[in-house]
Amino acid sequence: MGLVILGAEAALIAVGSRFDPLFGAFGALGVGFGVVLQRSRFCFNSAFRDLLQFRSGRTMKGVIIGMAVATAGFGMHMLNLQPNASLGAIAPEAQVAPLSVALVAGGFLFGIGMVVAGGCVSGSLYRMGEGYAGSWVSFGGILAGLLLASHHWNWWWRHIIQPSPVVWMPRYLGYGGAIALTLVALLAAYLFVLWVESRGGVAVQEYGPPVPAVTFREKLRALAEGVVGRGWPAAVGGMLLGFLNTLSYMAHMPWRIVGELSRWANGLATLAGIGPGRLEGTENLSGCTLAVGGTVLTHGLLLDVGLVAGSLTAALLAREFKLRVPRTPVRYLQSAGGGVLMGYGSGIALGCTVGAFFSAIPSLGLNGWVFGIALAGGAFIGLRVIERLP
Amino acid sequence: MFLDVRGEICPFPMKKVQEALQRLPEGEVLEVLVDHPPAIDTIRMLATREGFLMDVQVAGSGEWRITLRRPAKAVTP
Repeated sequence: MGLVILGAEAALIAVGSRFDPLFGAFGALGVGFGVVLQRSRFCFNSAFRDLLQFRSGRTMKGVIIGMAVATAGFGMHMLNLQPNASLGAIAPEAQVAPLSVALVAGGFLFGIGMVVAGGCVSGSLYRMGEGYAGSWVSFGGILAGLLLASHHWNWWWRHIIQPSPVVWMPRYLGYGGAIALTLVALLAAYLFVLWVESRGGVAVQEYGPPVPAVTFREKLRALAEGVVGRGWPAAVGGMLLGFLNTLSYMAHMPWRIVGELSRWANGLATLAGIGPGRLEGTENLSGCTLAVGGTVLTHGLLLDVGLVAGSLTAALLAREFKLRVPRTPVRYLQSAGGGVLMGYGSGIALGCTVGAFFSAIPSLGLNGWVFGIALAGGAFIGLRVIERLP
Repeated sequence: MFLDVRGEICPFPMKKVQEALQRLPEGEVLEVLVDHPPAIDTIRMLATREGFLMDVQVAGSGEWRITLRRPAKAVTP
């Protein structure tokens, strides 16, 4: 199965490159995202959950560092795309969404769903590559949730999203001010995480002692151990993801996942005669908008399939690939139910932890911050739910 | 004592280890088999918080054997 996915990715890149030279780039970026997620065990779900449950900020600090890197990168790229931000037009492809009840409700539902399912959308995708059967079930749930959100979309658009304001900071503060304010806010968030950790009262030794290496051969072995042996530190993962995200935006668009997944869900549903029909207003929005129709071969397809292939490759190299099957039926229900909540939430909030958070805060809008706070609230409730499960 | 939490994902491996540690008789060692890499981190947090010493060995492709023991009590002369 692993070879099939790798072969599919290679074939997609090869076929697609004949139509669009950027297909190779996006195939490689997708694989890069997958490798980094797998190696650094970069799980947005655990970033929120471990902070709430253990007062551990290991992953959250990595997330914040990644967003700081992308803030600088996105800022410079958007300055090139839209030099005069005060005129009001938002830089093309930026992940800036209206500040609406849908954004808050979507983030909240997503937060519950990711904790219940045991992984967010990017987490489920990279674990699909590592061999987790439960993550494939979550993926099915996510597609179902996106389809349901697409059926309700026109209501959300007309009554909630369309009338809501969009706040893009460069319009009011200029690029320098917006980047500086975002970086200061990220620093404040980092200090807040340190404060939460300090209230836990214990210092966890996260990484074992370094392997002593004197000779060239020993140094090579230590390097291999660091790359494909033990997992990478979350901060390293965050920095690399922020860097890849900037490259992705420079090539076309920031890292995003669920808009493309909704195209798959809605395409299959349309074939089955239960498609959502026309989705109003999506042409006026930027970012992870729900989608129906269009071409099959897109940059998003390459990113999403590449992510699974990259994680699979990294897991095989690190000897961490294994078919993992949940032992109790409750876990399948959690995966499916959590997946539906995540699919619906990301559908109405215009993105998941990647598109509406990790790529949104560096896009210098306020929506990423609102979504992040709603996520934390949902994760808190999700934790109460799973504490009651056997 | 032996605990097999393969197939479980976060936070359940940690939760089951926590329950087992509460039942662990004095002087015994808890051996845990896991196949979920992030669980190594959450179990390490738990071990640190509860004052257990932890050792991790690779037990196979995508599997790890974790040993948890109480630190030896300091002998007062």
